[in-house]
Amino acid sequence: MRSPEVVATRSAPLRPLLTKELREIIAGRALWVMLLLMCPLVGYSFFQAVSLYGEASIAGQQSPVLAASLSPFDGVLVPSFGAAYVAVTLLFPFVAIRVLGQEKESGALRLLVQLPYRSATLIGAKLLAVFAAWLLVSIPALTVLVAWRLLGGHLALVETLNLVLGHLLYGLLVGAIALFAAAVTETSATAAIVALAFTIGSWVLDFTLAGRPGILDQIARLSLTQILRSFEQGLFSPGLVLGISAAIIGFAALASVWLPPGVGVRTKVARSIACIIVTALVLALVAQIRASRDMTEDRRNSFSAADERVLATLSQPLRINVHLAPEDPRFVDLQRNVLAKLERVMPDVVVRVAGARQPVAMGTGDDTYGQIEFAYGRRMDTTRSTSPREILPLLYDLAQVTAPRPDPGGGYPGYPLVTDAWLGLLSFFGVLPALIALAWWFSRRPPSYTFASHAGDDP
Amino acid sequence: MDGGSSNPRLLEIVALCKRFGEQAALADIAFGVGAGEVLGIIGPNGAGKTTLLETIAGLLPADGGDVLWQGDALAPASRRNVMFYLPDGVRPYRDQFVVQVLSFFAGVYRASSARLGDAIHHLGLAPVLQQRVHALSKGYGRRLMLALGLLAPQPLLLMDEPFDGFDLRQTRDVMELLRALAANGRTLVLAIHQLTDAERVCDRFVFLREGRVIALGSLGELRVRTARPDASLEDLFLALT
Repeated sequence: MRSPEVVATRSAPLRPLLTKELREIIAGRALWVMLLLMCPLVGYSFFQAVSLYGEASIAGQQSPVLAASLSPFDGVLVPSFGAAYVAVTLLFPFVAIRVLGQEKESGALRLLVQLPYRSATLIGAKLLAVFAAWLLVSIPALTVLVAWRLLGGHLALVETLNLVLGHLLYGLLVGAIALFAAAVTETSATAAIVALAFTIGSWVLDFTLAGRPGILDQIARLSLTQILRSFEQGLFSPGLVLGISAAIIGFAALASVWLPPGVGVRTKVARSIACIIVTALVLALVAQIRASRDMTEDRRNSFSAADERVLATLSQPLRINVHLAPEDPRFVDLQRNVLAKLERVMPDVVVRVAGARQPVAMGTGDDTYGQIEFAYGRRMDTTRSTSPREILPLLYDLAQVTAPRPDPGGGYPGYPLVTDAWLGLLSFFGVLPALIALAWWFSRRPPSYTFASHAGDDP
Repeated sequence: MDGGSSNPRLLEIVALCKRFGEQAALADIAFGVGAGEVLGIIGPNGAGKTTLLETIAGLLPADGGDVLWQGDALAPASRRNVMFYLPDGVRPYRDQFVVQVLSFFAGVYRASSARLGDAIHHLGLAPVLQQRVHALSKGYGRRLMLALGLLAPQPLLLMDEPFDGFDLRQTRDVMELLRALAANGRTLVLAIHQLTDAERVCDRFVFLREGRVIALGSLGELRVRTARPDASLEDLFLALT
C-alpha cells in the first residue's frame, strides 16, 4: 500500500516535461505542413539566386574588378534565407501557438498547471520546444548551405553564422510572440490573429513609416522586419542581440503571467505592467550599446584596414554636423558609407543631424542644406560629398596625419561561380520533401514499451 | 450546518465565494472532509459542482473564503502540492499515444515502472496503450484520466463526474478502485450527477443548489434530518432540492 504524499513543487524532473513538449511539436501537423511548404519556397529562391549569380559570374570571370563585387552572401544566402523569413513570419506562429493552444483548447492546461512546475518553467520548456520547432522548419534553409557548397560555391563561416543567428533570433521572437498570444487568448484561432497582427503589422509599419521624418521613423524601427536588416548587412551588434533576447524573454514572461487560470485578471494585468516596464528599461539600456562588428568577408561595412589603423589612433572627439534630412537618400549613403564605419572604428564620434526637420525637396532657401561639417579638435571643415573617398582625406587633413597607403594585395577576390542550379531545384522539390514525408511517417509509429505490473495489488 | 465527519478534518472549506460578473456561482460554501473519506458533491446541472471543484483546486480565483489544509490556510498556488483535480471532458494530448501520456505523468511524479504498470492494469488500459488519445472511446478516455489520478501522489483527489462514460460493469469496477484508494488513506471529493452511483461510493454528501450548500452529511444523517428513514439518496435529493 502506498501512502499519499505531499508533492514538492520544485523537485519535479525537467526531462519528462521537455520530452512531452517535443512530442507535442512533432505530433502536430502544422510543423510538417510548414516544413513541406518551406521546401519549394526556399528551393525556388535558391534556384533563382544561383541562376542570377551565375549570370553575373560570367562577366565576373572576365574581370577581377567585377569578380570582387560577387559575394555569395549577398547573391545567394540572403535571398534564399529571405524566403525562409517570409515563411517564418506567416506560418511559424501557427506552429508555435500549437505548443500552448492545443492544451488550452483540449483542457489539458488544467492538468498541466497542477503539475509541480512553476509557470516560468512551463513556458521555458515551451520556448525550448519552439526553438526545436524553428530548427526543424529551418532544415530547407540550412540545406541551402549544403547545396551551395555541393555546387562548388564559397561560404564564409563567420558571416554565414551571423546570418543564421539573425534568423534564429527572429524565429524565436516570432515564437515568443505566438506563445504570448496563445496565453492571453482562449482559442488558437484568436491567438493566430493576435500573433499575425504583430508580424504582419510589422510589415505595414515598415512599408508605411520607414524613412519618414522624426517620430514616424522611430516607430518604424520597432518593426520586427528591422531586426534582420543588420544581420543581412553582415553586422553583429551586441546591443541588437541583447535587445532581441530581452524582447523574447519579455514576451515569454508575459506568457508565464497569463498562463495560470487560477490567478485573477487584475493580478495578471499588474504583473504584466511590471514585466513591460522591466523589459522597456532593459531595452532602453541595451539601446545605448551602439558598437557593432563587421562580420563580412569583404569588409563592406568597414574602411580599409590601413584606414582603420590610422582612424583608430585619432583620440580627440570628432563632431559631425549633417545638414540633411534623415529621409534624404544622400543621408542614407552618408550614414552607411561613412558615419556607421567611423562610429565603429573611432572612439569618440558625435553625429548631429541638423537638417532633421527639413524637407527633401530643394527650394527651402537654406544654403547650408546638404553641407556636412566636421570638427576635430579645434579644426573644422565642410563638404557636400557623402563619399568616403572625399571625406577620409578631409579627416586626415583635419587631424594632421598622413593618409595611409592602401595595403598591397589581400583585397576581397570575389567568388564568381557559373553553375547549373537545376540539380538544387530538384533536391528541394523532390528529395527533401520525400525525406520529410519519410520522417513524418516514422514519427507516427507507436512507441515500444515495457512495464512491470503487480496484478492484484491495491492501487 | 455541519455534517460531522468522524475523521479529523484534512480539508476545510470556509465561506467560499465565486462570482461571474453579477452572478454568484458559489455563495458561502462551507464543509470539511476527513482523511480517507469519499465525499460526494451532489446537485442538479448548473448547481456549481465544477466551479466548486475548480475553485478548491485553485484553477479559478475565488472571490472570498478560505481553503484550509489540516487547519492552515492554503494559498491557491500551493494547492497542487496536496490535491489533484481531474476535470470532466478533458482528452489530454490528443495526438500523443496513451503510453506516452501515462509515461509523462509517471515521469513528472517519479512514479516507478511498477506503479505505472499497476495503474495500467487497474484501469484496463493495456489494449489501448499504442493508440492515440484522440482515437480512444469515451470510456477509455475516462480511464486514462483516472490512471493519471492514480499516478498523482497527492493525498486528495478531486474528480468531476468520474463515472461518466462507463457502462454498469465498468462503473462498479471503478467504484471498487476508488473505495480501495480511500481505504489506502486517500481522500476523494467527487462531483457526481448519477445519484445511484453516488449513494454506492460516497461516505458523505454535499448537496448544492444554485451555488449554495443546502444539506450535507452521511446518508443516515440526511435520512434523520428529513425524517425519511428508508429514503434513497434520490428521494432525499428530490426532498431537499
